[in-house]
Amino acid sequence: MLGDIITPDLFASAFRMATPLALAAIGGTICERSGVVNIALEGIMLTGAFFGTAAVLATGSPWFGVLMAMVAGVVISAIHAFASVNLKADQVVSGTAINLLALGVTGFLMERWYGHPGTTDPIKTLGPILRLTAEGGGFLGEVWRWVNGIFLTHTPIVYITVLIAIFAQWAIYNTRWGLRLRAMGEHPRAVDTVGVNVYRGRWVAVLMSGALAGLAGANLTIEQVGSFTENMTNGRGFIALAANIFGRWTALGSYGASLLFGLADGLQIKLQILRDVIRIPPQFFLMLPYVLTVVVLAGVIGRAVAPAAVGEPYEKKG
Amino acid sequence: MPVLELREITKVFPGVIANERVSLELEKGEIVALLGENGAGKTTLMNVVYGLLSADGGEILMDGEPAKIKSPRQAIDHGIGMVHQHFMLVEPLTVTENIVLGREPGRLGVIDFKIARERVIEISQRYGLKIDPDARIEDLSVGMQQRVEILKALFQGARVLILDEPTAVLTPQEVRELFGVVRSLVDEGLSVVFITHKLEEVMAVADRIVVMRDGRVVGETRPEDTDEIGLARMMVGRDVVLRVEKPVSTCGDTVLEVSDLHADDERGLEAVKGVSFSVCGGEVVAVAGVSGNGQTELVDCIVGLRRPTGGTMHLKGKDITHASARSSIEAGVSHIPEDRHRRGLVLEFDLAENLILGDHRTPPYSTRGLLHPKAVTTMARKRIDDYDVRTPSEKVIASNLSGGNQQKLVVAREIGRDPELLVAAQPTRGLDVGAIEFVHRQILDERAEGKAVLLVSLELEEVLSLADRILVMYEGRIVREFTADEADEETLGYYMTGGGGVKLDDDARQAGPIESGGDA
Ligand SMILES: Nc1ncnc2c1ncn2[C@@H]1O[C@H](COP(=O)(O)OP(=O)(O)OP(=O)(O)O)[C@@H](O)[C@H]1O
Ligand SMILES: [Mg+2]
Repeated sequence: MLGDIITPDLFASAFRMATPLALAAIGGTICERSGVVNIALEGIMLTGAFFGTAAVLATGSPWFGVLMAMVAGVVISAIHAFASVNLKADQVVSGTAINLLALGVTGFLMERWYGHPGTTDPIKTLGPILRLTAEGGGFLGEVWRWVNGIFLTHTPIVYITVLIAIFAQWAIYNTRWGLRLRAMGEHPRAVDTVGVNVYRGRWVAVLMSGALAGLAGANLTIEQVGSFTENMTNGRGFIALAANIFGRWTALGSYGASLLFGLADGLQIKLQILRDVIRIPPQFFLMLPYVLTVVVLAGVIGRAVAPAAVGEPYEKKG
Repeated sequence: MPVLELREITKVFPGVIANERVSLELEKGEIVALLGENGAGKTTLMNVVYGLLSADGGEILMDGEPAKIKSPRQAIDHGIGMVHQHFMLVEPLTVTENIVLGREPGRLGVIDFKIARERVIEISQRYGLKIDPDARIEDLSVGMQQRVEILKALFQGARVLILDEPTAVLTPQEVRELFGVVRSLVDEGLSVVFITHKLEEVMAVADRIVVMRDGRVVGETRPEDTDEIGLARMMVGRDVVLRVEKPVSTCGDTVLEVSDLHADDERGLEAVKGVSFSVCGGEVVAVAGVSGNGQTELVDCIVGLRRPTGGTMHLKGKDITHASARSSIEAGVSHIPEDRHRRGLVLEFDLAENLILGDHRTPPYSTRGLLHPKAVTTMARKRIDDYDVRTPSEKVIASNLSGGNQQKLVVAREIGRDPELLVAAQPTRGLDVGAIEFVHRQILDERAEGKAVLLVSLELEEVLSLADRILVMYEGRIVREFTADEADEETLGYYMTGGGGVKLDDDARQAGPIESGGDA
């Protein structure tokens, strides 16, 4: 029984499921570190997913689709940047507006361009980079089967995400950009008084989160599902926000938290086979990742300390 | 030729002319003290020089050349550095990170922390500003944080250093150290503009004194040509009593009774370790001590902002050990908090709204949960008038007041409430001499009316001139108690720094002034 649940495939699926969450979560980390709350991750991801798919449908090139998904993410996040940095609007309101906008625009364009709601035609996807055979017997053969199964069966963006997480972590703590980013979210006026442009820094951070969330959308459609369905992000943007908090506003922490949520998601699917044994509705299993989110946020991590100035528009003096 | 010259700088805010054709010169190696009443326009003028505010008229010259300063970046490039009235440090970052921020050494955008650290150490040694480069700002004392601010300006290559009320938050010991630093800076060829309200400091460090009133320069003098009384007159435009007379008063019923109080600080360490005392009606009891010896936590407990971990407190016989802030206000406790920004005011609220905080539930300002704007406005206008808060109207938001006027607003609200017990922590922080005189009179009036006053102050002069009894607090305990005529500054200072048994200040200093034990 347990052997059916704990398989290499379970952990491989954890990495797969974690990827869109982690990308958006790292985007959230960068954005919030600069002092801007980004609850628009959900909508940005959806936008990226849609335009990525549309680009692949139009050109047949999955990589071009990935690029367009990121461009779309950047474009829609520019609205958030303008509203929260320049107009000093409430960042939660602006983010909510973008989420609604993304839902509406993608649904509308779906009908306009493809003539029907629901799901697009299937698109050409990006497959696993490596296709190694998992043969060989004995203990070594078994180890190889696990290593290959867990780590070596993935699509490109899954690996790119790991690299992004490591690089972002390093950059936030070791580069000029990172130091200014961290300072900006804590005490923007202090950053201003040493001659660094807070508005520009926040713009860049919001756009970066847009690119990352767009890439998350591309991963969903161009690597995982192979088509676009309305509202297919299905709350992942919000779980990503939770992952960012759980990861204490760090890139690697965000990745780790996403991996945990990914594992919960994978487990949930595996546990469906238990349905015949213990009779509980399948929705209970579906709830698993969300329950985990709530439990984690409410209790396990204790009090997480957000950047001090997060959510506060910065106003220069007259 | 002056290093810095301001010609006819004018800055207008809605309803206020903060600076009106102000001209000022600063020579190389000179210390100019900028003096003036609260709201005279000192901070505004310096913010213009530093590029934080843009002037409506006039020009700035550096080394005789017109300088265009539209942003702090440009000011820094011209060699101007500023230590602000309210610090500009990023608390969770380290000393080094704060100092290099904006000018990080390194290649291709990667910071070379080794070089950064070395440069910080190098500058700190050159000017005698010892600091642990790896400490986090939030773990440093205020005096050390100020050091970081000065180092930051020096790191950025400042030739002109502006210090806006640098001593308002320092202990006397730290003030002496700061003066040493300032002198070594001018020896190295820097020029310093020094804003302060403390006249004895002006007399001690300034080469030249410029006095402002109502946005204009009203006079200029040198320490050798004047004295404190003369300066005060120049500032306020009338004679000021620097030390108010304290009439004898008789002790009434006990108002506050604290016994064996224990309390923890934010980090869960015991900060108040069994404190007992009482304050009776018609008496001013002062708690003297170097900051960080448990006074903050003690005050928090009394006003209901912190749960004591042991002991009891009674107000007029009523147990208030576990009272909330609300019930403590209702029981008649008023509180002037030491940090006006964090606890005294809602900076985004207007003055009238700030003035009814705490009274917003009581008639005549509100009945059945509804506010009565007319009553609020009437009261606000009266308080603003009585306490001489300089502002065009009660509709101005609090963050637009000058530092000293913000303080007056808090004092107006808390004393205006007419409490049974007034807990005043640093009540005159940042106030000019005239305003200090006024607040001292108010406190003594409360005393004359038979109210109890608990004063917590780092200013020994304030303590000595107001208190009937003085409790010296050191490391969470009351180590000595004096009556007013037993104490003088020297003895108080001795016990405040752990003298008389615990630890001598000089020993601590010989061990090296690095606060957080780094390997600088
Ligand atoms: N941002 C602002 N908006 C409107 N008015 C302002 C603003 N900043 C300052 N003022 C007004 O300008 C005047 C000068 O203020 P400033 O802060 O320069 O005084 P100051 O001399 O530094 O006083 P203090 O000693 O109390 O710090 C005050 O009347 C103040 O209310
Ligand atoms: Mg000021």
